[in-house]
Amino acid sequence: MARLRRLVHLLRTDPTGFREGAIGRARARLLFRGHDVGPGIAVLGAMHLSIDGQLRLGARVIFLRGVIPTDLVVHSGGKMEIGENTLVNYGCSIEATQEVRLGARCMLASLVRIADSDGRRSGPVIIGDDVWIAHGAFIAPGVRIGNGAVVAAGSVVMDDVPAGTMAMGNPARTMPLSMAAPTRVGGPAAADSDTG
Amino acid sequence: MLDASRAPIELHAEAGAEIVIGDDVRIEGGASLEAVKSIIVGRGARLRAWCKVIDNHFHIPSDRTARPPSAPVVIGEEADVGERAIVLPGAQLGPGVWLDAGVVIARRVPAGMLLAGSPPRIVKRVLA
Repeated sequence: MARLRRLVHLLRTDPTGFREGAIGRARARLLFRGHDVGPGIAVLGAMHLSIDGQLRLGARVIFLRGVIPTDLVVHSGGKMEIGENTLVNYGCSIEATQEVRLGARCMLASLVRIADSDGRRSGPVIIGDDVWIAHGAFIAPGVRIGNGAVVAAGSVVMDDVPAGTMAMGNPARTMPLSMAAPTRVGGPAAADSDTG
Repeated sequence: MLDASRAPIELHAEAGAEIVIGDDVRIEGGASLEAVKSIIVGRGARLRAWCKVIDNHFHIPSDRTARPPSAPVVIGEEADVGERAIVLPGAQLGPGVWLDAGVVIARRVPAGMLLAGSPPRIVKRVLA
């Protein structure tokens, strides 16, 4: 009886996120049924889907919970691919008319907008592996982002971002990551870094 | 006053963190404050729609599992954080600072400055 009570308590408080993860994986199975998705995908919050084209998600892609739903839109004839272990925070909006490709182990912060067509420009958006896109960034159609690049918060990225660099500002300019990343663990407080 | 009639407001203080909001502060819908250590909003400040205030970057580029140290954020009295502006760790806005829409800031800003653009520039110095 005590054991049962403890189990109920653990499920209610969910300190390890076990319950949230299980519900998230069940929700993902329901939402993405019929699409080419890998194992262990979780949708932890509200999400709007409109998939008329081709959607491919790698293993363990996670959509986080937050105050605003994330939007995935793939138009008829379009293709969207998200690599394994990529993390998508709340309120993101990703829209594919032709092709949007995100690599493996990327991190998308909240309110990131990626589209391959905006009525004026169009072109596939190709994002490499281990890319970190910070809060509120906008990635314009036709942009390619290299492996390991960082896009700072609020940036408007109109041009390609080479691998291992950081893009910031509007329009975004790039600089070597080594110059732009003072936030090392155990280092001094991030008084003037510009990521988010 | 928190006006979430058009969009939700997010106030997120992690265990052990503080978000201190002074008297007569106005926060509009879509605004989001996330504290790992400390965010202090001074009396009469205004946080406009969809602005973001964080005291931690939550990630570092080289290691997905690590989290960087926090740098407390202070928003001065009567400061105005514009729509979609982003206030990053370590930012300290003096009294009466105005951030125009979309400004991204991670520094100390002396009292009465008006900042605009990205990267931000000082547009005007308002004399007290």
